Amino acid sequence: MTDTAKEDLVMEHLVTLTYHERLTDNLNRFADGLLEERIIGAKCPSCGRVFVPSKGYCSLCVVPTTEADEIEVPDTGIVTGFTIVTPVAYYGQTKTEPFVYASVRLDGADSTIGGQDVTGVPQSELRAGMRVKAKWKPREERSVDGMTNRGWSGVDGVVESFEVTGEPDAPLDEYKDHLF
Amino acid sequence: MPATDIAIVGYAQTPSLRDANPSEVQLLVPTVAAAIEMAGIGRREIGFTCAGSCDYLTGGPFAFVSNLEAAGAWPPISESHVEADGAWAMYEAWMRLQEGDIDTALAFGSGKSSPSNPSEVWAQQLDPYYLAPLAPDPISLAGIQARALLDSGKATERDFAQVVANSRHNAASNPNAQLKDAGASVDALLAEPYLRNPLRKHDCPPISDGAVAVVMARGDRARSLCERPAWIRGFDHRVEAHQPGVRDIRSSSSTALAARKAGYDGGPLDVVELSSTFSPQELILLESLGLAPDGPTKVNPSGGALAGNPIMAVGLVRIVEAAARIIDGSANRALAHATSGPLLQQNLVCLLEGE
Amino acid sequence: MSNEKCAIVGVGQTHFKKRRDDVSIAGLLREAIDRALEDAELTIRDIDAVVIGKAPDAFEGIVMPEIFLADAVGATNKPLLRVHTAGSVGGSTCIVGAHHVITGIHDTVLAVSWEKQSEGNAQWGLAGGRSGGIGAGGAFAPWMRAYIQESGAPDYIGWMVAVKDRRNAAKNPYAHLKMPDITLEKVKESPMLWDPIRFQESCPSSDGACAVVLTNEAGARRSSKPAAWFHALSVKSELSTFPGRNPVKPQAGVECAHDVYRQAGITTPLSEIDMAELYVPFSWYEPMWLEGHDIAGPGEGWKLVDTGATDLGGSFPVNPSGGVLSTNAIGASGMVRFAEAALQVRGLAGEHQVDGCRTALAQAYGGAANYFAMGLLRSDPPA
Repeated sequence: MTDTAKEDLVMEHLVTLTYHERLTDNLNRFADGLLEERIIGAKCPSCGRVFVPSKGYCSLCVVPTTEADEIEVPDTGIVTGFTIVTPVAYYGQTKTEPFVYASVRLDGADSTIGGQDVTGVPQSELRAGMRVKAKWKPREERSVDGMTNRGWSGVDGVVESFEVTGEPDAPLDEYKDHLF
Repeated sequence: MPATDIAIVGYAQTPSLRDANPSEVQLLVPTVAAAIEMAGIGRREIGFTCAGSCDYLTGGPFAFVSNLEAAGAWPPISESHVEADGAWAMYEAWMRLQEGDIDTALAFGSGKSSPSNPSEVWAQQLDPYYLAPLAPDPISLAGIQARALLDSGKATERDFAQVVANSRHNAASNPNAQLKDAGASVDALLAEPYLRNPLRKHDCPPISDGAVAVVMARGDRARSLCERPAWIRGFDHRVEAHQPGVRDIRSSSSTALAARKAGYDGGPLDVVELSSTFSPQELILLESLGLAPDGPTKVNPSGGALAGNPIMAVGLVRIVEAAARIIDGSANRALAHATSGPLLQQNLVCLLEGE
Repeated sequence: MSNEKCAIVGVGQTHFKKRRDDVSIAGLLREAIDRALEDAELTIRDIDAVVIGKAPDAFEGIVMPEIFLADAVGATNKPLLRVHTAGSVGGSTCIVGAHHVITGIHDTVLAVSWEKQSEGNAQWGLAGGRSGGIGAGGAFAPWMRAYIQESGAPDYIGWMVAVKDRRNAAKNPYAHLKMPDITLEKVKESPMLWDPIRFQESCPSSDGACAVVLTNEAGARRSSKPAAWFHALSVKSELSTFPGRNPVKPQAGVECAHDVYRQAGITTPLSEIDMAELYVPFSWYEPMWLEGHDIAGPGEGWKLVDTGATDLGGSFPVNPSGGVLSTNAIGASGMVRFAEAALQVRGLAGEHQVDGCRTALAQAYGGAANYFAMGLLRSDPPA
């Protein structure tokens, strides 16, 4: 029941919670590789699928993967899907201009890396199927400090964007089942 | 009346660890796999899965989604999740098993308390207008409860220390316990300084990471999978009013009510596993169940939550510890308890029996 | 031992608005709960158990808020269970409530779900507290783009859905957005949010709650009003991301729907179901779910929209309530689908009633479209 004669009372309760979670061993190795311009994934010993980064297990077979299962994949790949996001203001938001949000399937990988910027063409000319190559930040600017066990993009802070190479688009069956 | 022919036929838990290396889902993956393997069923046969966890504990909205990978959710599965201890996930899965169209179910709980400060996180579980802004941490609240219990004459500090000594002794033979001390003595414990008067550090739970999973089956299926299933004869949970000021925090009325509704008739119990995280709470819970601390019923033979407190798993761990003793034949009748909210606001009781 | 039948005998919704500054969270829930109890001709004393659901707690900044709300929702000394399955939670909460009744463990159960996202910051919550958040639509936009490309659908289909739902909402007293003058042009000219989805093709951010009273056959007979009977209910989940996943037509959505059709004895959903309340937060999800649940064949979903079949007066009305496109208190939206389907088969949907509706489908989805909760309600009890 609302009482229209009653004053609305609003209190502000700002809360900061701090979490210090150690990065998993597999993500630690992934982060170390990124700093050296190497992209490391894991190949499932059961089904052979390659996940980038490694999760420490294959989510389809639900079997563990170890350092012995880890392999390097090239820093080239295909845009499998994308959108252009108009940023919304909220606490912590730093984006001000529409930005690309794309999923990239690296050559040699079966999983995709999400949330990537794609550069080298105007946003209006972006297509799923375009071939891209990682544009690495200069060594001294690279940082993996933002990496957490919860993030699923993981190359932020090291790869500035994925740049369109200009090669012919990949055939549909190389990316249509790897939209996300 | 609820079916009484549903049993625990498989289980697994990680040890309770102060600071686990693997992520929460990495703790869950082998734990769920081990429970399924113990049950001896194929993963694809599971009729329903329910998970328990807390996003704010894991440290992000939608954090629970990752845990789905431990459930092996491809091809698609019938599955749900509760923002609660795995004990409540098990309750939901047990309830689903009643309908007769499926005969096995999986439930699990997980949580890592090591990355965060419990004083920060759990203060946000309180009334946001009157309590949270004062940020009373769990230990301070438990201290108020302990003081109230002492003032009522129902217990002494020596009684608190005895609870702790029992926990340390029992934990010494539990490979999964975090805090063990076969030689713990009440006098030595009482000589320790107060942390939050009248609580000493050992009266409080450790910070723990852990995961736990159970597999349940029905009727003849259960008998075919397990030589001596732990039959769930009763299962119930009740919640009290939130504000500690309007409750009697020296007793646990909802535990007594849940036990009664679960069908606990006050008869002999071989084992009781309680989720008391502060030593005075063990006394409060025992009294609400009509059990003596030094009676014939073994109290927290695992060491209980004082020996390891992986929040969001700890309640289900109590059920697993009780079930393990039924399955291995060392107990015939057990009661396991889980709790949620400040100062035992919500309580769950699970009654287990051998055939 | 045999299962009980389960019916919805009371429905309550709050007036959904961008900010409900006139009530606390507890007040918001009581508004929906009190309406549901009144509709059911019951009091809180008649409720045996409470099932409560909402989306991530970070949206309001309270950890497990049902703990402090236990008194407000009338759960004292009763079982209280909190369901959390991302965006589908309102639907799965209703389903978990129904299981309490079907098993015979409880007679009359209150299911309530809610969101008061004006008290927190949902954009911050959806972004995991970090910069560069894509909101809710950003994740789905690439999949909508893929659907448009694969189906060859014309671009105005999304705008048509947006217009239909807002015009329907004008007939729903509880809906948030009321835009009776909305046109295709206005939608087409609204700012782009997540290419190709425009502002007017996207759901609002609402405060609100929804409550339903679930009971068995004996309980339904006690009521003087018609009941909405469950003939089917199902939840299905799949991994949110994996190589080979089809996020446009998720397998979990297909299996959930077929589980519902099988339980209800339905072989041709398009002709055997009178209407559907589907979780459509972005316009293109209407044709996508029509195909995603095999109501329309591949590439045929957008044609149902194009012909006007999904209009309130059409052959298969979708979201006569105005849907999520008009009202989205995230935790509540899934339950509103079940509540609205129930109102339809009870003949109590007022101005947005579908004539002669006796069979209604309710669907909620969530996460990365990897969680599904669906149900089928009819005016008559199951055999």
